[in-house]
Amino acid sequence: MKRIYIIFIVLLTLSVSCTKNFEDFNTDEKNPTVVDGEFLFSNAQKELVDQISSTNVNLNIWKLVSQYWTETTYTDEANYDVVNRTIPDNIFDVYYRLVLKPLNESKTLISTRDLFAGETEAQRSNKLLIIDLMEVYTYHNLVNIFGDVPYTDALDVENISPVYDDALTIYKDLITRINADFTGLDASNGSFGSADLIYGGDVAAWKLFANSLKLKIAINLADVDFNYSKTNVEAAVTDGVFTSGADNALFNYQGSTPNTNPLYEDLILSGRKDFVLTNTLVDKLNDLKDPRLNYYLQGTIDFKYLYTNPDGSKKDTTITDVSRWLFYADSTVYKEVPFTIYADDSLNLPSTYLGGDYGYSSAYSSFSHIHDNIQVASFPGILLTYSEIEFYIAEAAARTMSVGQGAQEAYDNAVTASVLYWGGTASEATDYLTGKGDYLLFGTWQEAIGTQAWISFYTRGLVAYNEYRRLDFPVMNEAPDAATGGPVPTRFTYPINEQTLNAVNYAAAAAAIGGDDLLTKLFWDIN
Amino acid sequence: MKKLMLLFAFFSLISLQIYAQKTVTGTVTDDAGKAIPGVSVLVKGTTIGTMSLADGTYSVKVPDGSNVLIFSYMGKETQEITITGNVINVKLMPSSEAIDEVVVTALGISREKKSLGYAVQEVGGDELNRTNNNNVINSISGKVSGVQIRNNTNMGGSSNILMRGSSSLTGNNQVLFVVDGIPVNNMNTNDAGQRSGRSGYDYGNPVSDINPNDIESINVLKGAAATALYGSRAANGVIIVTTKKGQKSKDGGKNISVGVNSSTIFHTMDKSTFPEYQTNYGQGYGPYYSGPLGDEQPSDYWGLYHYDFDGDGVLDYVTPTTEDASIGSHYDPDLMVYQYDAFYPDLPTYMKKSPYVMGANGPDYFFQRGRTLTNSVNISGGTAVSTFRLSYTNTDETGLMPNSTLKKNNVAFNSSYDLLENLTVTVSANYTNNQVVGRNHTGYNENILSSFRQWYNLGVDMAQQEEFYNLTGKNISWNPVDENDLSPIYWDNPYWQRYENYQSDERNRLIGYTQLDWKINSFLNFMGKYSVDHYTTLQEERKAVGSVAGEFGVGRPDVQSGYARTQILFTETNFDAMLKFNKNLTDDINLTALLGTNLRQTSIDQVYASTNGGLAVPGVFALSNSASPMLPPEDSYEKIGVNGMYINASLGYKNMFFIDGTVRRDVSSTLPTDNNAYIYPSVSSSFLFSEVLNQNWLNLGKIRLNYASVGNDAPWSRVEDAYRIVSPFNGNTMIRFPSYKNNPDLKPEISGSIEGGLEMSMFDNRLGFDLALYKTNTIDQVVPLSVSYVTGYSSKFVNIGEVENKGIELMLRGTVVKKKNLSWDITLNWSKNINQVVSLGDDIDNLQLASLQGGVTINAREGEPYGVIQGTDYIYAPDGQKVVGANGYYEKTATSDQVIGSVQPDWNAGITNTIQYKNFTASFLIDMQMGGSIFSLDQWYGMATGLFIETDYTNDLGNPVRDAIYDADGNLLIPYIDLPDHDPADGYGAESGGLILDGVVGEDTNGDGEYDTFTQNTRRMSGGDYRIWGYSKNPNAGFVFDATYVKLREASLGYNLPKSITDKLQLTNANISVVGSNLWIMYKALPHADPEASQGAGNVQGWQSGVFPTARNIGFSINLTF
Repeated sequence: MKRIYIIFIVLLTLSVSCTKNFEDFNTDEKNPTVVDGEFLFSNAQKELVDQISSTNVNLNIWKLVSQYWTETTYTDEANYDVVNRTIPDNIFDVYYRLVLKPLNESKTLISTRDLFAGETEAQRSNKLLIIDLMEVYTYHNLVNIFGDVPYTDALDVENISPVYDDALTIYKDLITRINADFTGLDASNGSFGSADLIYGGDVAAWKLFANSLKLKIAINLADVDFNYSKTNVEAAVTDGVFTSGADNALFNYQGSTPNTNPLYEDLILSGRKDFVLTNTLVDKLNDLKDPRLNYYLQGTIDFKYLYTNPDGSKKDTTITDVSRWLFYADSTVYKEVPFTIYADDSLNLPSTYLGGDYGYSSAYSSFSHIHDNIQVASFPGILLTYSEIEFYIAEAAARTMSVGQGAQEAYDNAVTASVLYWGGTASEATDYLTGKGDYLLFGTWQEAIGTQAWISFYTRGLVAYNEYRRLDFPVMNEAPDAATGGPVPTRFTYPINEQTLNAVNYAAAAAAIGGDDLLTKLFWDIN
Repeated sequence: MKKLMLLFAFFSLISLQIYAQKTVTGTVTDDAGKAIPGVSVLVKGTTIGTMSLADGTYSVKVPDGSNVLIFSYMGKETQEITITGNVINVKLMPSSEAIDEVVVTALGISREKKSLGYAVQEVGGDELNRTNNNNVINSISGKVSGVQIRNNTNMGGSSNILMRGSSSLTGNNQVLFVVDGIPVNNMNTNDAGQRSGRSGYDYGNPVSDINPNDIESINVLKGAAATALYGSRAANGVIIVTTKKGQKSKDGGKNISVGVNSSTIFHTMDKSTFPEYQTNYGQGYGPYYSGPLGDEQPSDYWGLYHYDFDGDGVLDYVTPTTEDASIGSHYDPDLMVYQYDAFYPDLPTYMKKSPYVMGANGPDYFFQRGRTLTNSVNISGGTAVSTFRLSYTNTDETGLMPNSTLKKNNVAFNSSYDLLENLTVTVSANYTNNQVVGRNHTGYNENILSSFRQWYNLGVDMAQQEEFYNLTGKNISWNPVDENDLSPIYWDNPYWQRYENYQSDERNRLIGYTQLDWKINSFLNFMGKYSVDHYTTLQEERKAVGSVAGEFGVGRPDVQSGYARTQILFTETNFDAMLKFNKNLTDDINLTALLGTNLRQTSIDQVYASTNGGLAVPGVFALSNSASPMLPPEDSYEKIGVNGMYINASLGYKNMFFIDGTVRRDVSSTLPTDNNAYIYPSVSSSFLFSEVLNQNWLNLGKIRLNYASVGNDAPWSRVEDAYRIVSPFNGNTMIRFPSYKNNPDLKPEISGSIEGGLEMSMFDNRLGFDLALYKTNTIDQVVPLSVSYVTGYSSKFVNIGEVENKGIELMLRGTVVKKKNLSWDITLNWSKNINQVVSLGDDIDNLQLASLQGGVTINAREGEPYGVIQGTDYIYAPDGQKVVGANGYYEKTATSDQVIGSVQPDWNAGITNTIQYKNFTASFLIDMQMGGSIFSLDQWYGMATGLFIETDYTNDLGNPVRDAIYDADGNLLIPYIDLPDHDPADGYGAESGGLILDGVVGEDTNGDGEYDTFTQNTRRMSGGDYRIWGYSKNPNAGFVFDATYVKLREASLGYNLPKSITDKLQLTNANISVVGSNLWIMYKALPHADPEASQGAGNVQGWQSGVFPTARNIGFSINLTF
């Protein structure tokens, strides 16, 4: 029996000794459990700008919805099918999980840790306020996409049924937060340094950003609560907004994956030819003889209207719809409608910029393409620009707010800034503004500002979409097979996930906004 | 060796003869004619006897006055034979339910089957391996009740194996394999993208490293009571594999035996699992190229481009090469068109027109005949104190697709040696080398089968694709962007993909143990064992320069070329020690008790690295050949330890009543330190009522009852949160927030199960059945609960929910004919499992298991069976008819949360017939599944792109369904879009194509927002439009199919060479057979595919995309024993 005891002792010793370091087994030794909040902040900035910049049909389809681009073969998204690829789910995923939660967490981490060597309390405070501005920017986008969204209950994993907040209430709270951020930011102290991938930690720049963002939010309320809108617009301008392209909030992507502009992945690396320019944009630019045509798109298309007979014989064709640039082998001319293409010209074929009919199948080789400069890896992500701010100022002036500039003056500044940004010259801008781009040639200020803002916001689908909904210009084309039955949606439907995981609050929100429908108008979209 | 053996046998005979008064000799064989060593031969009425030798021969001296010999052997029916001469050859039939049958139970303990209070089912090695399947899992299909197997169609792919349903919501539900007491890893190494059906390869079941030729038998332990001693990892059932061993010699000498096995199996594609295509319409999506939207005048061939392609001033017809669909213009052999082959300057067809017809060779041309050669040799033997067995098997398979091979080398050795009379040491080592080249892609992206089933141009001549690739060595795709940009837009040339973009993988694995058995005294034994299962895997994936871009490499960006490799190091060690007590306490009461411990440690070390931004130098697949600086590899290391202690006691009373109890306590490293131990008991009992009834016709009657509770731990590293490091940005560290919220308060999950059974054998064991009823409830499961993204997470780990599985299993066997030269046995295995997600906790009623392409999800939903398929459904009128909208298409639900199917089958069954006539044995197995459903992404897209025969038929008016539609006056209504402007009441021309969807149009007459009046739909819709049948305008429910199948799974015909011939050849035994598996799908409801096909093993089933066709396997095999 003694031998048995020995065996037991050996067994017991073994099992006890093996249990000792058990907790180490369960530690993920390849991933950190403690990090600096700054790292989360940098990554959240990138996640946000990736989402804004992308044209991935699973994530960001506003370049389609704003009718800059249309799809070549698979036209579901251009026809506003947001369900098949669960686009709203993906948007919630990026905005809440990849952007807002890490921003929020970085606030906690930064505010609760000890100061770094050489860091001052003022610097830390600046960091927290900049994070807050990023959060405000993100929420503003979310509200503009959906309407009511979860806000006060958000980002708390203990509460898996977050209530949706009223969109106007969120708007007003965002402005309150901006006010506090602006006041708190101390330009005499630094902040993140290079970890801030937008302004490199420049606090003065963030102060301008704060007011510019406030202006953007406030002008959106002009039709809802004019006095509130006016007060905040004017305060923002007084406190100082962007005054030149140097103030632009840009995100400078790198030359190689994974730090390239997502457009580069979507358009170049994918090897797919999924997008061409729309007739909506190309016709408008042609019609206005807009200098930005050459920077927005490329690829001239043989003037196919010349061919009219199946047997190959040609006949004179008169064009009456849109004025066009025509490219001949030896010259380029601008033709005002009506103009005629002669069959005799068949040896000197004219070509022109041509956009695909929005929402229809559009063979890649038949229509003009996105400009190469937009498809380079380091094409910057754009958060907020001077040109954009001038458009808001122009609108504010047109709405009789006191913003220090006249509507036309601000409009001219906005258009000029855009032309310059895209590579044009000052004289091109001047010619344009004294030619077909003249503010006074448009029927209404809404049409002038709406049309030009839309042109200027090229590639920035969501921003253009906001302008379009508020000003109702330009006139968009009807998609042939639209999920809305034709018109451009006025919002996106809520995620399917919310229907299943947060059903009660989803239903309440849907009821509150007047139905979870693509054509429900947002609270600020009055007219 | 052979001579040695014969010599040895010869001497034994002589030495016996000297003392014999009257000697009877002969050979004992089994029903297959194989020699059985170790058969007890007893002279009836005496204690005189002997054992048969390794070659089955025996010799016994029979005293005067005795004239009957009794032949008995474990697992065989005992035979009494009257001595009529000096030679008696005996064939022992398997005792199909011998009363004293001994089976292997948990921890390798042999027990008399009658004493067990739980269900165990045994399958012999011969039956298992009848058709030489490489994957042991597939071999089990249909042979055991309660086991549900989904035979995967991927080459070397992973088959799903469940026992008594799925009990774990998100964890592993696969059965545990234990080989000679060693748990053998069967981890699925397929990545997340592959499992969710995006893209990737199915790397198979690692358990297929078990060499089928080495398997003596398997024992299937079904319920928790049977597996309780194995602890929590056995919660899904255990399959115990016992490998072949050498035999000790009984007479003090040596014995030795040599076996050779060779088989050749041919694989051909089962065409019923491949699409049947329409034959009349060409490439394109419809009338988008010329005609109404392009030129001012419509042309006859609106599905073709119409422009001056060759510059001769005359308009040409050109196929729209960017379109991977076949709803273009009607073929016309007289029409000459420029097709993709006219685009490539490298081809002889450059700038040449060709007739606009269907491709002469369709995609089926791409599949070749595969074959598997298996050659195996083994030597086994023993002395009085030792045994050994050494085997080597080589498998060489070529698959159905070009450039696909699977090679396997397996060496197995085991040996035991009695160091002392009461001390035996056993060692075993099993080495496997597995090399695969060219597994098929799975899922949606880059998968050639997705092209063939979803996105294809039927105008392609596949033989030409092969020719063009061979001719140029370039990616001559049928899918170039245009004549100026020849890069493929969606699909590579299939041959390019097979030969340039192939993957390869290799696994080297060692499984071994050493074991010490010490017989301390007459009632006490000690066993100590240390075992290891270790493998390294290298998986390499390639994408050659010039390919279509696809998700590839670290971070899964789209790239056009690259090289990626995954290395996995897996190690599991187990230390087992056990004390066994076995004593008859009184004459009537026997006590067996166990006390033991099991210490397990598992580690998985994984690195995934890839080039970035493509390959710098074409053709060199190396990490150093990265076009952009490489991104940091993704690495992970996980380690799990579980320490268990258990105690077990079994009491037997008068060999009639048995009761058995176990308690096990585990401490697991994956649980929070202060709550990491859990204890769980089981109790089982059996009662042999046949002992009481004592009826002649009743050979065995037993009822059994058991209850067991089993605890389970959490997945690795779910207690503490960890951040994710992502690539730095311009020198700044970038950290991503985790998507899962871990939980420091996790506790072990618990399942409780109760099982009862009735087992009877009667009429000389000619009829028998084993019936089991069970119910298992698993509660407090550790799951990643999907949460609203608003929380900042995608899921959080919690203990929630309850899943119930209850069911019936029946094994019924009968011997229909039993004559000297003819016997016919039938075995039926039938099982029905009813699965229900009873609750998911207070906060949720749905747990999403997977969100898949097409907008369908696989879910655990409260009150429903595990694995319901959810998506959009039709809207139904009160009478059940589908509602058609004003636009002429079916209306569908606004939300995608409708239950439209369930992966759970209603029941599974297998029927085996074995007929033996003289030396011939024929056997066939019919395997079936009733019910269950599958969402087919192949149908979802393939119906839209006009590939299938169902999209081309003659309509109600006698016209081709894709023809244009005319109004009653014969005016052409635009042929390609829906026609809301035309009032159906105005009628249609008799020459119209198109179809009227079967359904009703609803109207809301009272304005309450609901339809109240329904009229039959009369709107005619174009049949030549991608919207009508496929994904675009139909709900998911239209693409959910019944997964029922009836298959002729296996058939074989074997012949044992008569002894007269084998003797001449100096063989102990020789058998040749013709074998086949997956021979015929006798019934299925799913068109164009095998309902069993899937992306691989795991919890996400019920969804198909680009599935591989089924291989039909036919061949022959030869077994020789020397």
